Amino acid sequence: MTTSTPAIRLRGVTKRFPGSSEDAVSDLDLDVEQGSIVVLVGPSGCGKTTTLRMINRLIEPTSGTIEIEGQDVAALPTTQLRRGIGYVIQQVGLFPHRTIEANIATVPRTLGWDKGRIRARVEELVDVVGIDRHMLTRYPDELSGGQQQRVGVARALAADPPVLLMDEPFGAVDPIVRTRLQDELLELQSRVHKTIVLVTHDLDEAVKIADRIVLLNVGGVVEQYASPDQLLRQPASEFVASFVGEDRSMRRLNLSTVADLPYHHGPVVEVGASPAQARSAMEDEGSEWLGLTDGACFLGWVEGTEVVDGRRLGDLHRFLPAAQVRPDSSLRNAMEVILNSRTTVAVIDDDGAFGGVVTLERIRRALAAPAADDATSPEGALPDAANAGTAAADPATGHGR
Amino acid sequence: MSAVHLAAPPTPTPPVGGTSIEVAATWLAQAAVPRDTTLAQWLLDPDTWTGRAGILTSLADTVVLVVAVIVTSILLAVPTAAYLAHKRRAELASAWVVNIGRAIPTFAIAGLLVPISLRAGYGFEPWPIFIALVLLTVPPMYLSTYTAIKQVDPAAVNAARAMGFNERSVLFTVELPLALTVIFTGIRVASVQVVATEPIRAFLGGDGLGRYVRDGIGQNNPTLTLGGALLIAILAGGTAVLFKGLEFLAKPPGVRRLSGGESTARKVRRQLVSD
Repeated sequence: MTTSTPAIRLRGVTKRFPGSSEDAVSDLDLDVEQGSIVVLVGPSGCGKTTTLRMINRLIEPTSGTIEIEGQDVAALPTTQLRRGIGYVIQQVGLFPHRTIEANIATVPRTLGWDKGRIRARVEELVDVVGIDRHMLTRYPDELSGGQQQRVGVARALAADPPVLLMDEPFGAVDPIVRTRLQDELLELQSRVHKTIVLVTHDLDEAVKIADRIVLLNVGGVVEQYASPDQLLRQPASEFVASFVGEDRSMRRLNLSTVADLPYHHGPVVEVGASPAQARSAMEDEGSEWLGLTDGACFLGWVEGTEVVDGRRLGDLHRFLPAAQVRPDSSLRNAMEVILNSRTTVAVIDDDGAFGGVVTLERIRRALAAPAADDATSPEGALPDAANAGTAAADPATGHGR
Repeated sequence: MSAVHLAAPPTPTPPVGGTSIEVAATWLAQAAVPRDTTLAQWLLDPDTWTGRAGILTSLADTVVLVVAVIVTSILLAVPTAAYLAHKRRAELASAWVVNIGRAIPTFAIAGLLVPISLRAGYGFEPWPIFIALVLLTVPPMYLSTYTAIKQVDPAAVNAARAMGFNERSVLFTVELPLALTVIFTGIRVASVQVVATEPIRAFLGGDGLGRYVRDGIGQNNPTLTLGGALLIAILAGGTAVLFKGLEFLAKPPGVRRLSGGESTARKVRRQLVSD
């Protein structure tokens, strides 16, 4: 990301609703990089939806400026501004009296595109969001909630706006469909590279899809603006720490995969090794189990007590490795496998070849270590970088057991 | 309104300021039927249907007045309510309008208006009954329109604004199409009410289908009264059916399905296509 102007820039944005003595959003500064997904998250009353709606002026800020690609939004007529911004809401808000095709074509029609172009664009979009073309002549009430939300996304993308605003887009669908829609959004984003601002109250959703998370406190105060990993690893304040919760390390497990861990060979020796070598390998690891390999192939585990001088390792009774993970498994998944295994160690199955082992201790160490990308992360230019920096001194995870 | 003037029977209109005896004499002269006539005989007699006091003329009188009232009320109530509801204004006033509307005794209003109309030189007909009926009809139409616009899915309205619709387009392309069904229901209910109330005009110096009831009472002739009541009931029922049809046609296709109750076939199909 080398773009100098952020796609969206908020400066000193404040909103106080008439009749209220408190600011709903107060003095908010925020830069959203081109092509990134920024997620606004926070407790109810934190002004996240208000902030989103100020970007397309569904709500007018009391003071402050908002720019989209350098253009002050207040200087444009609202109709023109909004036609250039995709907007997706939880309730979808499809027009029930219009077909799916007409719904998706809404903005292009308003913009006066010719029929052929609209038709081509609509067909392209239904393919992108994964709706069958024969659905185009249907009406919204004939679609399931998940399909409706896909149509909602297609409608928002219709005129190819550079910016997409999403207000709890997956809040109304069941968890299974939600997960799928989240995956689809990420997949879609890897192709369309929109600048997306998304509001959610679901931290897991934020962690999953955000490039950066804005954690807002009541009154629209930014508590932390950081990457998901950093937010979980180095909460900038008490508030952030309590919001991300006691299980924030568990959440971080979702962010990394087994392949992100440094290679660890574990208490594993070749089947031809001597019992002395085997015992030394087990002692190094503090393990009561010994793994045996034959070249790239993992043969199984033997109990440490059986490893005695004079018996060949190959003759010992072997337990087949029940605990296996793949390099692209999440750390959370690896931990789950380990907790259910007899050996406290999971073997990495790298397309049939032995790829090292994963232990709880290794996972713990990976979480405790500072992320390698800290120095290069783009916090530098941002106002809240100082906050995040000071928090780095706090112990992020409990060291020692 | 001129239609009402035209339809009023030109010659036997009671003279302005005419005495009630003169008026009564005109009535008696027009719809006298022997007392031993049965309802069937009366209805089957061609003379019952034709002529100045015939059913066809009376029906035309009634229909013209009813249509004039309905059209006027729609023009008064629907645009006003639609605009105010779109702006979310005057919600309290809307509740008042309805309550006042319910409390208006149409006959009393018309009766009060008659002397005013006479003094101003407009005669017995049609202004007093016209105004009274419009006052009867506007409140339900206003209320149904206001409610209809207000209950349109806020998500659709919100989405329309967010996609750059101006307020006019929001009202005309989203709110009104989605509200049309409920608006039509209000118009239907109000119209049936007008048809059923219009006959009081016969007791205020006018004609229309109410004349048979009036004449039947005046002549102590139950056949005539019953026949008149029957005709009025049929017209009211016909109006209801007509508007039901219009209501159905007014539903946008995507919405028609919604309120019509989902057919089993459609449910199954939805299950099949859902993800």
